[in-house]
Amino acid sequence: MGYVAVRGGAEAVARAEELVECLRLMGGSTPLHLPQIRDQLRHAVSRAMHEGALYAPLLAALAVKQAEGDSIEAAFLLRAYRTTLPRVMASLPVSGREMMCLRRISASFKDIPGGQMLGPATDYLIRLLQPALANEDMSVVVRAAERYEALVAIGGQRPGEVGRFPKVADYMRQERIIVDVPPDLAREAPFDITREPLTFPCPRSARLQAMAQADTGSLMSLAYSSVRGYGDAHPTLVELRYGYLPIQVAHPLTGEPITIGEIEATEAEVASKAHSVVNSAEPPRFNVGYGFAFGQSELKVMSMAILDSVLTQARIGSLSGESGPAADEEFVLLHSDGIEASGFVAHFKLPHYVTFEADLRVLDRARDHHAERASRLGQLVDQALEEQR
Amino acid sequence: MGIWTVSHILSCSPPHLVCELAEQALARYDRSAITFVSGPRCVLVQLRMIDGVAETVFNAGEILVTETRLELNGQFGFGMVIGNNPDHATALAVLDAALRMPGDPHADLRPRIAELGRTLSAARERRFAAAAATRVEFETF
Repeated sequence: MGYVAVRGGAEAVARAEELVECLRLMGGSTPLHLPQIRDQLRHAVSRAMHEGALYAPLLAALAVKQAEGDSIEAAFLLRAYRTTLPRVMASLPVSGREMMCLRRISASFKDIPGGQMLGPATDYLIRLLQPALANEDMSVVVRAAERYEALVAIGGQRPGEVGRFPKVADYMRQERIIVDVPPDLAREAPFDITREPLTFPCPRSARLQAMAQADTGSLMSLAYSSVRGYGDAHPTLVELRYGYLPIQVAHPLTGEPITIGEIEATEAEVASKAHSVVNSAEPPRFNVGYGFAFGQSELKVMSMAILDSVLTQARIGSLSGESGPAADEEFVLLHSDGIEASGFVAHFKLPHYVTFEADLRVLDRARDHHAERASRLGQLVDQALEEQR
Repeated sequence: MGIWTVSHILSCSPPHLVCELAEQALARYDRSAITFVSGPRCVLVQLRMIDGVAETVFNAGEILVTETRLELNGQFGFGMVIGNNPDHATALAVLDAALRMPGDPHADLRPRIAELGRTLSAARERRFAAAAATRVEFETF
């Protein structure tokens, strides 16, 4: 067996790609249309968009189709596509207060202004497979429209009521029961991790941007570790809202704000039960973290908010007990990007013949050395050297 | 216009209706009256969010938009809409230019835009009404 550097394989690579296409289409099913994916696989589309850091539902549907449902690959495709387009401007800063909510819940307060709306959610259902979904035809579309009309009638359409509500965190701030998060270092524009390398400690804007495009599973796992005991998080959901956010840019001639459409988004604030005391002269307060993502992405924004809270507490030194890896900003932000992590792990599939040959030579030398020391003479010498020490 | 601005109405109304309005404005001009400055083209807008805890402005990701910049009879017009829709973006640019012209020569468009605004309001109210049906009525023990 020889270990040598190689080149070639271009034909095999092309045929491997062809085989993927063949296997995708030869099962006898009808090819998927993008609107089907966008409408019926909403969560897959949302995940591709927030991890790909590009809001483009139909392109995300294409990415999901091309990746055959692999969420990390779909996000990778979108992020790669993003680099082919020029960025012409930034939007005007928008707050979640502007959101037209379809869903809005709080686990902290029962009575919140405007009430709690469950919206489109399956959180409260028993996880049983629904065999009826396996054999749907167009009649279900008609029935869905009728059921929607019934819901509209129950909810009651009222002039001017489009789902804008005050934030629960604003109420808590008014009552002075949440910690004032230290201000970001003075910057003209928010940090942009697509243009500047992350250095630590990083500005808050960098932390939030990095987590907004991070892998959902990674954020969830780190947040869970902190909640479960490898950290100090004791979270309570202040508010979670999902809905439509109007986006505005400045008119290039007059500078006035103009709306360019609405995006679907999810936002959460999570309070930490650990009363954060930065200054002993100050009364104890809750620490609150923030999460945001494109689409309906609730686990992502809650995990992000938990980690934001933990990282803020770590920075201001108000964690009690074990801090754990979730409190290490550098560790969290540098290991939660799904594209970077998957790229690094996946690259080990590529030929490493040269480096592995070097490893083999080192291994051979080590084995020879081991064999020499295992001989009678070797053992005598080692024993003599040991006695001299 | 109710709670909606003209740009909100035009960017969120069905594109074919907005294109019809633009056609109405264009009917008064020769082809030579229109000069494309740039686009229509797909570009990115960086979304700037204000976080709900410290009010920090941060970059939350990019949004795919279509943008058109043009001049209609010497008046600059700007159109931008979320998604890939060159017709919609160009219609927005035409209407932006038409509605900015001195003396408001396209005032006839405004009642139709107001009508689109009423339709948009109704659609948004219906959307919320369906969600409001899921409002929780707690029982306190």
